[in-house]
Amino acid sequence: MSILATKDTHVVIQGGVAGVNAARRMAEFRYMNKQPLNVSAFVYPPDAGKTNEIVCGTELVAIPIYKTVADATANHPEINTSLVYIGANRAYEGTMDALNDANIQTVSMITEGVPEKDAKLLGKHARKLGKTFNGPSSIGVVSAGECRLGVIGGAFDNLVACKLYRPGSFGVITKSGGLSNEIIWICSQFADGITTAIGIGGDAFPGTDYVSYLEMFENDPQTHAVVVVGEMGGDLEESAAEWYGAKKRRIKLLAVVSGFCQESLPKGMKFGHAGAKEGLKGEGSARAKSEALKKAGAIVPETFGALGPAIKATHEELLKTGVVKAIPDLAPADVPRLPKTVAEAKKDGEVLVAPLIRSTISDDRGEEPLYQGYPASELINAGYDIPHVIGLLWDNRLVSKQEAEIIKRILMLSADHGPCVSGAMATVLAACAGIGLSQSVAAGLIMIGPRFGGAVTDAGRWFKYAIDNQLTVDDFLAYMKKNVGPVPGIGHRVKSLKNPDKRVKELVGHVKSLGIKTPHLDFALEVEKITAVKKDNLILNVDGTMAAVLVDIGFPVDSLNGFFILARTIGMIGHWTDQKRQGSRLIRLFDYLVNYASPKRREVPKLK
Amino acid sequence: MAKILEGPGMGLLRKWGLQTPNYVVVDSSEEFDQLASANDWLKNNKLVVKAHEALGSRFKLGLVKVGLDLAGAKSAVKEMLGKQLESVTIREVIVSEAIDHKEEYYASVKSTREGVDVMVTTFGGVEVEANWEKVKKLAVEIGDSPTDAQLVALSKDAGFTGATATKMAEFLKKLYVCFDNEDAQYLEINPVVQNASGDLVALDAVTLLDGDAKFRHKDWTFPFAAEFGRAYTANEEEVMAVDAKVKGSVKLIEIPGGNIAMLPAGGGASVYYSDAVVARGGQLANYAEYSGDPPDWAVEVLTEKVCSLPNIKHIIVGGAIANFTDVKKTFGGIINAFRKAKGEGKLNGVKIWVRRGGPNELQGLAAMRALQDEGFDIHVFDRTTPLTDIVDMAMAAK
Repeated sequence: MSILATKDTHVVIQGGVAGVNAARRMAEFRYMNKQPLNVSAFVYPPDAGKTNEIVCGTELVAIPIYKTVADATANHPEINTSLVYIGANRAYEGTMDALNDANIQTVSMITEGVPEKDAKLLGKHARKLGKTFNGPSSIGVVSAGECRLGVIGGAFDNLVACKLYRPGSFGVITKSGGLSNEIIWICSQFADGITTAIGIGGDAFPGTDYVSYLEMFENDPQTHAVVVVGEMGGDLEESAAEWYGAKKRRIKLLAVVSGFCQESLPKGMKFGHAGAKEGLKGEGSARAKSEALKKAGAIVPETFGALGPAIKATHEELLKTGVVKAIPDLAPADVPRLPKTVAEAKKDGEVLVAPLIRSTISDDRGEEPLYQGYPASELINAGYDIPHVIGLLWDNRLVSKQEAEIIKRILMLSADHGPCVSGAMATVLAACAGIGLSQSVAAGLIMIGPRFGGAVTDAGRWFKYAIDNQLTVDDFLAYMKKNVGPVPGIGHRVKSLKNPDKRVKELVGHVKSLGIKTPHLDFALEVEKITAVKKDNLILNVDGTMAAVLVDIGFPVDSLNGFFILARTIGMIGHWTDQKRQGSRLIRLFDYLVNYASPKRREVPKLK
Repeated sequence: MAKILEGPGMGLLRKWGLQTPNYVVVDSSEEFDQLASANDWLKNNKLVVKAHEALGSRFKLGLVKVGLDLAGAKSAVKEMLGKQLESVTIREVIVSEAIDHKEEYYASVKSTREGVDVMVTTFGGVEVEANWEKVKKLAVEIGDSPTDAQLVALSKDAGFTGATATKMAEFLKKLYVCFDNEDAQYLEINPVVQNASGDLVALDAVTLLDGDAKFRHKDWTFPFAAEFGRAYTANEEEVMAVDAKVKGSVKLIEIPGGNIAMLPAGGGASVYYSDAVVARGGQLANYAEYSGDPPDWAVEVLTEKVCSLPNIKHIIVGGAIANFTDVKKTFGGIINAFRKAKGEGKLNGVKIWVRRGGPNELQGLAAMRALQDEGFDIHVFDRTTPLTDIVDMAMAAK
């Protein structure tokens, strides 16, 4: 048994992120006890109609979010308790809604900084309705083995360490959230643990008092002793003393009160919780409260440190008189454990996961990216350049200085070719339509294909085929004519023998000046000699030149189009920013640029 | 609770129709001279000049001057402004009109668990302490208002007669309305006096408001004052500014003369730590507290201030087993500030005592323990050591 929060408690949480966190903590507690989640709904108007995903053990449970408490209880009639996580400036209205709901009997409020007047009005309203309003500033309520309201009890390991998976014999009431956890821990180490622990909040006028809960504990057969952690200020401890002393009680009462330090502090200096203020006439001091409790027959240790031994002595006496029986500890294998995430289990070396992808080029799990194992910053400091990074990421190797220079020149020569070509035009068109950078550049990139810029890979493939198979130029041209079609890399729309492509001349000149072996380039130039004779514009174009050179320096055929894509992306970004900078407007084709060859206007036949 | 000074306090009373003497709050003698030429009441009445600061015993400190004419008031204003008393500089003075009177009454409204107590007596002024049993009280439940008949009966019960009883009932009504509408926690008018035309006037007021209700009072433009008879120190104000900004809380009160510095977690546990120090005969150098999972940088600021306290011998980094305050994260802030303070030579000969539990306690405590290797005199304990034992150990170590 337990009080206030039990196995029959079903909760609606009013509030946003903090409430969701509380639900997660509550789910952990229920998982420890092998019970289903007892949070039925959230009330949070901004997200009404959505759900919050709560991790319950190894599952994710979707909990619906409603606009009002009434909506929540109408859809989930089992709800009997509300947890309030609403900000201080709106907490009053939300709590009133909960109190006024016929299904809800208990409202616990974690919100801190609620105006005193609001808290008092809520307390009065709850008393009038015969309901419980716990808080404000309450850390929550926890009943071992049954129910947790809020985050009281802390992390999962602490719940287990405090044996909250099964009831003990001690009730706990505190104003302080941190100390509630401390007492739960002490009760589990010095005695057999708790039944229910309640944080009533540290405000000056909490919605409930010690006496209401002492009455409940007195009527709970599982609870045999109650620990009250009090503070100076107010009169709750005095009322508790009065209640305890009024007649013979079944439960034993242990209490400590903080605030003795006030006696030796400069006058008027107060600290601690909002409620921890002596009365203006000195009433409510720690000493007065302790004396009252002692006089009523409560066990009042001299210091907080002496509380553990006092709890131990009380438990031993309960054992001796046979009121309680010793509870055997769980076997280690039966101690509840929270499922590990895959990441945690991996870290602990407990699982083997089949990888989904394999990467052989880079790794950024450390403090900086590694390209083929080389830290990027160290490459920079050692004088390496972009072409080396291309070599590492596209061909898994560090290219030589000479090769890097060739790559650099290829990129420079191919970076842009004015706004009229397919790629740049698509980018400009998109930019003028107000499309963003990445999409506009993507529009341009989409144009790269067999007819525009995308012939590098194919050119490389066939020149390589010729060299690998030691074909003569004639054999090659015959083979291509029979099996493939026009030779990729040969031919230009505007350039010709008489009007040669300056870029090709430049690149060929540089590569030839290096004195390296260039079988593919040499072969391509031989092919040009034959084809250009047939037709003036069947010259080796820039795609074909790049392809031959790149195959010569060892790049895989499949990577070759990448050099054009990479280079031309520089130009496309330039075209997009250019249009953007000018504030260009939407453009469209002029009618006179279209040959309207479709049928003239005619009558629409009847639909058959 | 938030105390406000006399000027804004009087302003709230006037807002709700209570009579107060004329007054001005000034921060320069030039301003006062200008006000004097603009307001006839400053020329035609005896005046009272008081330091407008959160100071106790202003009379004893010579910071209240009565029965002055304008010239006397001007020189009193000049003399008081800028005066230095320990850590406090007098930045403002309040000059008010003296009201000739015979009787001095007392009236107050105080927040209680059930609602409010309205209290009144004919024994006002300095007499009230000695005659506390003669104070008559009307308990009003929260949500209710006192009726005129109840207040008249209360006034008569307190010994007011005839027209004065009716006037006092009206006065109490307005005082209650002011209290209720302004989210006050304590309003005390002492003395209430009768002026020449027979009206009741609030001569001096203690005003405590509910700081938590500030969000619904757009006209609370005044600052809250320290409640303990002195102004806040620069360090306290800095920590308050951080506290106002962050989730969770960080708090600091400095106590001059102590040598045990406190840096515990939790509004509840922090007081038990203070109790333990006092119980062992130690002298607290401060009160501090952080809770509600504040960001690490906020705890770092608080720790810097604690490390800067003069002549400290021990720092008590105590705390219960946290529910949701991340021990590793908050200790990270503390450790940063410790390193900085050590670098500045502030922790020479200072012993640090740590006890804590809660989320990520293993990592947090391990990080603290590792400070031993950096030359800190630090002693770290986990949840198996009872809460305040570190205080016992610290006191035994000196």
